[in-house]
Amino acid sequence: MKGRSPSFGGHLRRPVALLWMAAALLVGVLLSVMVGSVDIDPREVARALLGIRAVPDDPAVTIVRQIRLPRAILAGMVGACLALAGLGFQAISRNPLADPAVLGVSSGASFGVLIAMLLGLTGPFANPVVVTLFAFAGALLAAVSVYAIAQVDGRLPATTLLLSGVIIGLFFTSCVMLFTTLLASAELQGVVLWLMGSLGPTGGRTLAVLGLVLAIGFGVLSRQAARLNLLALGEEQALQLGVEAERVKRVVFVAASLITGAAISVAGSIGFVGLIVPHAARLLLGPDHRGLVPAAGLLGGAFLILADLVARTVAAPTELPVGVITSFCGAPLFIYLLRSRRGGEAS
Amino acid sequence: MVWRWIPGLGLCLCLGVASARAATIPDMLGRPVTIPDGSLRLVSLSPSLTEIVYSLGREDWLVGVTDFCDYPPAARAKPRVGGTMTPDLERMLQVRPSLVLATAEGNPRDLVGHLTRVGVPVFAVKPEGYAGILDSIRVLGRALQAQAAAAALVRAMDAQEARIRRAVAGRPRPRVLYLVWSDPWIAAGPASFIHDLLRIAGGENVVQARSVPYPRVSLEEVIARAPEVVLVASHLDTMVRPSTIVRDGLWQGVPAVRSNRVVPVPGDTIHRFGPRVVEGLEHLARAIHPGAFGLAEAVGQAAMR
Amino acid sequence: MRSVEVQGVTFRYRTGQGVEDVTFRVSPGELLGVVGPNSAGKSTLLRLLSKVVTPERGRILIEGREIAALSRLALARRVAVVPQEFHVAFPFRVVEVVMMGRYPHGAGGGWGSARDHAVARAVMEATGILDLATRRMDELSGGERQLVSIARALAQEPAILLLDEPTAHLDLRHARRVLEILLDRHGSRMGTRILVSHDLNLAAEHCDRLLLLARGRIAALGRPEEVMTTAHLEAAYGCPVEVERHPVSGRPRVQGSLTRHGAPPNTVSQHSPDAREAGSPNGQLGN
Repeated sequence: MKGRSPSFGGHLRRPVALLWMAAALLVGVLLSVMVGSVDIDPREVARALLGIRAVPDDPAVTIVRQIRLPRAILAGMVGACLALAGLGFQAISRNPLADPAVLGVSSGASFGVLIAMLLGLTGPFANPVVVTLFAFAGALLAAVSVYAIAQVDGRLPATTLLLSGVIIGLFFTSCVMLFTTLLASAELQGVVLWLMGSLGPTGGRTLAVLGLVLAIGFGVLSRQAARLNLLALGEEQALQLGVEAERVKRVVFVAASLITGAAISVAGSIGFVGLIVPHAARLLLGPDHRGLVPAAGLLGGAFLILADLVARTVAAPTELPVGVITSFCGAPLFIYLLRSRRGGEAS
Repeated sequence: MVWRWIPGLGLCLCLGVASARAATIPDMLGRPVTIPDGSLRLVSLSPSLTEIVYSLGREDWLVGVTDFCDYPPAARAKPRVGGTMTPDLERMLQVRPSLVLATAEGNPRDLVGHLTRVGVPVFAVKPEGYAGILDSIRVLGRALQAQAAAAALVRAMDAQEARIRRAVAGRPRPRVLYLVWSDPWIAAGPASFIHDLLRIAGGENVVQARSVPYPRVSLEEVIARAPEVVLVASHLDTMVRPSTIVRDGLWQGVPAVRSNRVVPVPGDTIHRFGPRVVEGLEHLARAIHPGAFGLAEAVGQAAMR
Repeated sequence: MRSVEVQGVTFRYRTGQGVEDVTFRVSPGELLGVVGPNSAGKSTLLRLLSKVVTPERGRILIEGREIAALSRLALARRVAVVPQEFHVAFPFRVVEVVMMGRYPHGAGGGWGSARDHAVARAVMEATGILDLATRRMDELSGGERQLVSIARALAQEPAILLLDEPTAHLDLRHARRVLEILLDRHGSRMGTRILVSHDLNLAAEHCDRLLLLARGRIAALGRPEEVMTTAHLEAAYGCPVEVERHPVSGRPRVQGSLTRHGAPPNTVSQHSPDAREAGSPNGQLGN
């Protein structure tokens, strides 16, 4: 009887659900590795994954292991980062409409990366840690601004939160545009494309840094998960139940900004993942953050891998920016959430 | 005594042979690129580079070109590896290149990193000004073991350029505006090699902004600088038509419009920095100084085709 | 040992509202009613007692220990608060919310021990919401949500229960149920209870003692009949008040409109149905 998590009508049992989600992630990775602009037989793909070369200098092995696999891993990690960030922001603002893009945090991160670009710190041989730090600083700046503007008597009503998110987001996006126009040189040529979100090939070092940041973010959110549940009762109630509400909010806030920054610095601006995935996870598992944290990570990864797959195939040979696909999925959901009263704070 | 020389000679021979296996040549970005000896599997990521490869006689080595590589017509039959700003890494790798030719401005900057990571050498070309185009040809000649062909090509281009210079020598230089886009108005500036071409063709570029190769120009600027000839580039997907400008009421104050000297020029020979740039040069010279090219010249031109 | 001791506590918000030099004691098991006009400082008092805000001057002791020295968790094991309004931001189930009350006892880390589940079940039974256990919070009525709130507070197994207007928005049935719980009619062995209420008659009827607050200060403290005098109430509320005795319990209660000032003698008599209709809006439950 000890430690049994109750399951209720409509919600799946937690361990089973998480297992399914992990399976979905794995399937996503496999599909992603099998599909590309060059047709490679699934059996060849399997061989390539194992490193068996049909001929010396086999392009299939290079393509699968050096291009497709890193891309799938990148998409998975970026998706997990964005989903976890969205979950964190939603928990501390007690609002299911929060998401790094909606709150303008993504724009702040993009601005941070732009500054790094201007300082010559980006490029194929740049230090990924440095770029991530700049993105993190930008994300934090944006998030702090949004929360400072949106506060009303220590609460964060949905209307002011969304409005300030839009305003801050627009502000930072405009800054990026301003700099891009003023300094239109070859350096910033690719900025516009990058800003729309791109999951290009990445090096091992970058993936390692991203992985580390993801682990940190996941760790922080897992530790705070129970307290985040209590935050849903309201800040005063959480305090009265023994939760240091301000400290929890600050910690989650910083962690969410960090993982947003890392994701954006690597993959550009991809929206709505932080909105869609936590919502789906809540529908499947219920709002208990102890289950939502791993669920958001797994589902976020699976979702972005699949979105990337669609982006690469639906308009072949053109590759759509993955942000386009996530927006197409996310915008209708956002509208639905906005209009429904369920799960929203009454303010 | 002579015995002592043998190991030394032997060593030199071995070194000589070893170095013949692969050469390390700096590309135009200053990066040392190791190019294996013998025949190469080339991928060209720019129509200009494709034209140069053909003119150096190395078209057999070409295993991949961009979707825009359409000259010479035979290039269209080569396998495609994507666009210039959107090259497809997978398709590139599928043709197993041993060397990729890229441009500093026309291809994505992170491409170098990606290709290096998968172990494919990239040779970058960055032509600066008209002289830079000739440099590019010479450098590629070295890289592709076709120095003789490159030298011959450069000589021919020099000759043609000299002929054009002579034709327009001594004539007053009209003020010229070269438009590449209409909405917004974008012109060729001093940082582009077209600027050089305009100068050689006997004109004076009215655009002076040095910040970007192709800066935006405002209509006020155009009217203030009063170009006497407006050259309108026609390219694959151009939206600029001379008739649009001529009929536009706002442009009536421009001398070129008043004297009906808004001239379309073929963009593909002028914008590409390959061997055909001298043809482009000729188009420009004829547009700027139509009187300089008499009948004899026209016959001579026809004979050269 | 006193259950609650408040010594010379002063706290003011930036707006100037708050409490000034408040001193009182509550005995274990006592039901204390805190009454007074709006902005008198009643809710502020509850916030001070639950350490949501800290006093500028004075100190507060819970079961003999200063709350300034207690960690939040330690305090939460002793004190539970039922707030005036209960909103849950996400669609939690009733049982999940009740289980949140077990957090101070260490349920946060794991999924909840057997004891936690047992306690949750017991309080849900006591509050009569066991059949609502798997329902989502946003599907419940206001009254049902309040019962969940109380159950959650009881799940903390607190020595001291603080309630802020627990029956304010409830219909008759749910209000009655809440009262039954509060007054220990189901043998839940309630500890000390401090109840903030607008409903003077409710407080007077059921509380052991009353604390009358006005403009942040204690206006009166004592048994209901000592506190509910015309003098005290008119001074606190600033309007005419009529006090009479409940016919059955003998407890004091207010009658007539609290807002009518200097009514002419030949208007509707106090005992007529019309007056009762227009009478104290808080008079429903006194009967």
